[in-house]
Amino acid sequence: MNNWFIVAQILGVITIGFEFASYQIKDKTKYFLVTGIGSFFWMAMFVAIGLATGMSTQISLIVASSYSTIRNLVFFKIFSKDTPKSKEAGLIFLLVMIVVALVAGILAIVNSPEEVRWLHTLGMVTALGFVIGQYLPGVHYVRIAVLFYAVVVMLTQTPLNILEGDFRWNIMGILIESAKIVSVIVFYLRLSTQPKKPQLQFAKP
Amino acid sequence: MFQIISDSSCDFSKYEAKRHGIGIVPFYISFDQENYLKEGIDISKEDFFKRLASEKGLFPKTSQPSPQDYIDAYEPYLKGGKDVLVLTISSKLSGSFNSASLAMEMMKEEYPDREIILVDSQNATIGQGLILREIIKMRDAGYSLSKTAQVAKEVLKTTRVYCTLDTLEYLKRGGRVGPTTAFVGGILKLNPILQLADGKVSQLDNVRGRKRALALIEEAMVDALKGETGNISLSIGHIFSEKDAAVFKASTEAALETKITNPITDIGVTIGSHVGPGALGFAYCRKYDAIKI
Repeated sequence: MNNWFIVAQILGVITIGFEFASYQIKDKTKYFLVTGIGSFFWMAMFVAIGLATGMSTQISLIVASSYSTIRNLVFFKIFSKDTPKSKEAGLIFLLVMIVVALVAGILAIVNSPEEVRWLHTLGMVTALGFVIGQYLPGVHYVRIAVLFYAVVVMLTQTPLNILEGDFRWNIMGILIESAKIVSVIVFYLRLSTQPKKPQLQFAKP
Repeated sequence: MFQIISDSSCDFSKYEAKRHGIGIVPFYISFDQENYLKEGIDISKEDFFKRLASEKGLFPKTSQPSPQDYIDAYEPYLKGGKDVLVLTISSKLSGSFNSASLAMEMMKEEYPDREIILVDSQNATIGQGLILREIIKMRDAGYSLSKTAQVAKEVLKTTRVYCTLDTLEYLKRGGRVGPTTAFVGGILKLNPILQLADGKVSQLDNVRGRKRALALIEEAMVDALKGETGNISLSIGHIFSEKDAAVFKASTEAALETKITNPITDIGVTIGSHVGPGALGFAYCRKYDAIKI
């Protein structure tokens, strides 16, 4: 078996751990840190897959995951300060990242094989939805948005996107996306069994 | 019996102030940083907020009452042989307490036999108003000046104000949020939820939609106050949101199974210039007779 493929599996297992954990966290700052670390291993996994099966179909995923890593870690830094200035900086950064993602996404789509363009277009759209969901307040938007994003990314790990080579099913990539979906389901199951707490906490007089 | 004086941040109406015999020292408002108008005297709250809403980019400045304003408020009562209790807006939000304090020092020299006690409410608007109501009740119940001040300082520790805003526009005008945050917040219909506690204003959350914001406030309020309603005084305030305030009052009363006896308050300029028309909030504090010292 190709060594890079084995490395990709190891990186994938680490990613699963972080991704699963991140969707159990309600606090946005901690969520960004954990998912940011997860994104880094995720990006490294795509690089390893690219080295194993050919870079052309992995480029858009490497771009997307690098962008996720930077975005999540910068958001972590900005939101942990929680000042009007840091929030303004965070939002400007988000808008810049959306523009960068659009440009990079379109370039990646144009440069990808014609038969997978629809999938990469869908990937870009759901990724943008996910990024906006991450920014929106509360615990629900991000979790709903990640379900759509995960399904599309999961499809990119199948022969629909991996057109050549011996390993046309990236099982690890599929497991990572499944971990996100399972984590969201577990989150809501846990939420439903917990005594209902108000989203806001007011001081007792 | 002592005299009670408050700065106009308590948001008492003229009628209420007169009815309870409260001296009100007004804040100043300026639209051009040259001409200063006294709140409630030279300009009504309604006219102020109408102008604020109609002129985009306008950010009026509010200034605290001067020491002379406080001297003018104290002196007739001191001359008449009355002691004075003064309640001010949080000293972390305004210099009103400082002005009141300087005036007190000057008056003590002139009236050494009279007593003036200052209470920094650590609050503003309807929160300060609630503390003032407890002070009035204590005065009317025959409490001494020093005992009233002592209990009031405990009451203010239990006082909280929570409010939601209709727009981020006025926070932007005051520099409390950036222009991008206000712009995107507007597109996403984000309603900030603010709290006033420990003398400072801070943002608790951003919620999509006013209905949701009010529902979350009510939910958190019920959680914080359940089983305590007999010991709690509640107040609701708004700026140009009379209907919403009435609906919120009715649903809060139903949720808490209690009556809110304090009148719905029009929020004044000190906090109002920062939050703008559409703000809706409520405050609570422990009643003076439920305080254990």
